[in-house]
Amino acid sequence: MSGVIDVSRKVPPKLTLAQRLYLPEILRGMSVTVRHLARNLANMKRLPTILYPEQKRGYSERFRGKHILKTREDGSLKCVACYMCQQACPAECITIVAGEHPKIAYEKYPVVFDIDMLRCVFCGFCVDACPKDAIWMTRNDQMAFFTREDAVFSIDRLRETKEEIAEHGYGYRPYYPGDGTTPPSDASLLPVIPGTGERDRLREEGVKLPDRDLGAGPLNAPSQAQKAS
Amino acid sequence: MTVAAEAVLSPAAEALRERVGASALSGRVTVLDRDLPTLEVGPRDWPALARFLRDDAGCRYDLFLDLCGVDNLKRRAGSTRFEAVVHLHSLARNQHARVRVLLADAEKPSLPSVADVYPAANWFEREAYDLFGFDFPGHPNLHRLLCHDAFVGHPLRKDYAPGQRWFFAEEDIRMPEWSKETDVRAGHFETQTISIGPAHPATHGIVHLVARLDGDRIVRAETMIGYLHRCFEKMAEKHHWNQVIPYTDRLNYISAMLNGVGYVRVVEKMLGVEIPERGQLVRTILSEFSRIMDHCVCIGANLVDLGALTNFWYLYQPREQIYDLIEACCGARLTVSYVRVGGLAIDVPDDFVARCRGLLESIPPFLDDVEKLVNNNRIARNRLQGVGVVSRDQAVAWGLTGPMLRASGVAYDVRREHPYDFYDRFDWDVPVSNDGDNFARYLVRMEEMRQSLKIVRQALDVFPARGEVNSSDWRVVLPPKDAVYHDMESLIYHFKLTMEGIRVPAGERYEWIEGGNGELGFYAVSDGRGGPYRLKIRPPCFPNMAAFEKIVVGGTISDAIATLGTLNVIAGELDR
Repeated sequence: MSGVIDVSRKVPPKLTLAQRLYLPEILRGMSVTVRHLARNLANMKRLPTILYPEQKRGYSERFRGKHILKTREDGSLKCVACYMCQQACPAECITIVAGEHPKIAYEKYPVVFDIDMLRCVFCGFCVDACPKDAIWMTRNDQMAFFTREDAVFSIDRLRETKEEIAEHGYGYRPYYPGDGTTPPSDASLLPVIPGTGERDRLREEGVKLPDRDLGAGPLNAPSQAQKAS
Repeated sequence: MTVAAEAVLSPAAEALRERVGASALSGRVTVLDRDLPTLEVGPRDWPALARFLRDDAGCRYDLFLDLCGVDNLKRRAGSTRFEAVVHLHSLARNQHARVRVLLADAEKPSLPSVADVYPAANWFEREAYDLFGFDFPGHPNLHRLLCHDAFVGHPLRKDYAPGQRWFFAEEDIRMPEWSKETDVRAGHFETQTISIGPAHPATHGIVHLVARLDGDRIVRAETMIGYLHRCFEKMAEKHHWNQVIPYTDRLNYISAMLNGVGYVRVVEKMLGVEIPERGQLVRTILSEFSRIMDHCVCIGANLVDLGALTNFWYLYQPREQIYDLIEACCGARLTVSYVRVGGLAIDVPDDFVARCRGLLESIPPFLDDVEKLVNNNRIARNRLQGVGVVSRDQAVAWGLTGPMLRASGVAYDVRREHPYDFYDRFDWDVPVSNDGDNFARYLVRMEEMRQSLKIVRQALDVFPARGEVNSSDWRVVLPPKDAVYHDMESLIYHFKLTMEGIRVPAGERYEWIEGGNGELGFYAVSDGRGGPYRLKIRPPCFPNMAAFEKIVVGGTISDAIATLGTLNVIAGELDR
């Protein structure tokens, strides 16, 4: 239910003589500003302004800052180069080149994973798109560069490091502690299944493997019986 | 009279069909029943139809909202390659309508200008001329508006390849013809022409005003915009429905949340998706807080231009607190990207209600202080009262909406006239004023902030403590991460949505909400792909800015600066 109110009635259309004299109104106005001044002086710690950069304003747990690529137990990237984040990115700032991992359990891995931080709009769509829990964001909002080339972050600058997390902390991520999400299992803890490169080496050693290249995927791994023979 | 294929028309469309059928236009106009009553007409009959729709007692479509082009080159719909789509509103009958002008000539699309019928059409027609190459015979000033004058081609045509660059040199800047002529009157000083902007501190964004001055009074003015044009609409055509959301943040960046809410609304309506109450209320609460920020910036910046810097600081403190709340919800202060089609990116944090209630307590004292400093201040009164007056009839003719229209005495607020979300459940008032001057706009905005707080308070009272914020339709919303990690079917939905986008049924829709400075409309056309075929935003400050060159005539330059502040022109939204 909503009505209409006429706001012009809320203030007198003409000023009174005292108001037109201006001086009384100056004093009235100063009572407002001096009250703010006194309150701020009495409570310096809660000033709305801060002394940046010595002081910094904390961000929430969900802050969308610089990206990190999460790693497995063995230090390899969780990313399987599925291109979902690259496709979801509205700014088209992610470049992935996939390679076949020697261990089939990992299927693919990113040979190149570049994020152009000058194109990135920090919308977090890549984090939402990742089905493997491989890309998170941090609360790091300070990335200054001297050249455009410098702004393209490759794997070495995106890989998660303890120091970075200690300094900035995690930001926007697919799940938060306590929301009941079970992270996907760590592929590095699964049994190692030979990949293409590994298979060639095994053949040289005389292990009998199927002739056909089976492609990626743990289901295509040679069975124990094949290995034994 | 062509009888539409569907036998049963909605009452509104039926009434319109009868009115048109009884008029001289009978037989030349087709009335269809879409999401809005839709009329189809050829370009030759369009001015007569416009006049009829405006003047007929049973139509009274007096508010011209939008005119945009559609290029049907790449979709199997529409009988002609080009269409000009017009949206109108009748204040008396509270009814929207759409007119589709079918342009049969694909080589030289042309339709007569209706700028004499609807003055608001002036800039919209220039925009369609610029982006689609439509010719408008009879237009008073048909020049490019958003693209620069050295631009070649018409970027929103489907056969225009995006990514082309056109070099713009200083000598390409078009100055109005009248500004080049000297105007010497007998026994009088020579008038002079000056440029205010493009980069002038008082324009708050890049806007170019060319003004002819007689002494200190402006006798003629013309505004040139487009300096921040980044072809939002062309970008939208190249992206999925959800990927447009970060772009909407950059329209009216002062109240980014509102744009997202308005945009996903049109997509959700096309899909027929319902959002859980909790998600709706989060949108409502953050929208109202965004509206407060919008008004804070508008009033604060306006008063700074008048020399009252203190108010700026007082109004920026609530804004800062609201930014903190928004950042805690979505992880960014300004470019929020919080809404998604079918819900929100993520549920609100646990302390959301407590923080909102804290804001309800902390914001009003700042508003009180500003009112104490300004309301009876002689300088502020002299600078604002009786300056930049827009009469009721002018406001309607110029297509103004929002606080500008309400300050001129028309109580048109989309939240009241076309209640979306839960606005009809809340108890709040629409502030209006009959003065139509800058002071009235200031008062309307101040009161709107208080009314927004009132809405937020009621929304918090009914806010469900827990529950879903997203629709559970996984053809629209990404499934929860836990399911994606461990369940193949969810992963497939996740993959399809990410790689192909949401499949929105083919069709068109116009949805409108109350933005920070007026009716924020989105007109979307889908051809069934994962992204929009055509997306037109109706930016509320576009007609405001178009009216600026008329409002300032007769006033001084300093009045023009004060008026520009109350128009609340946000370049991101104006230039798109």
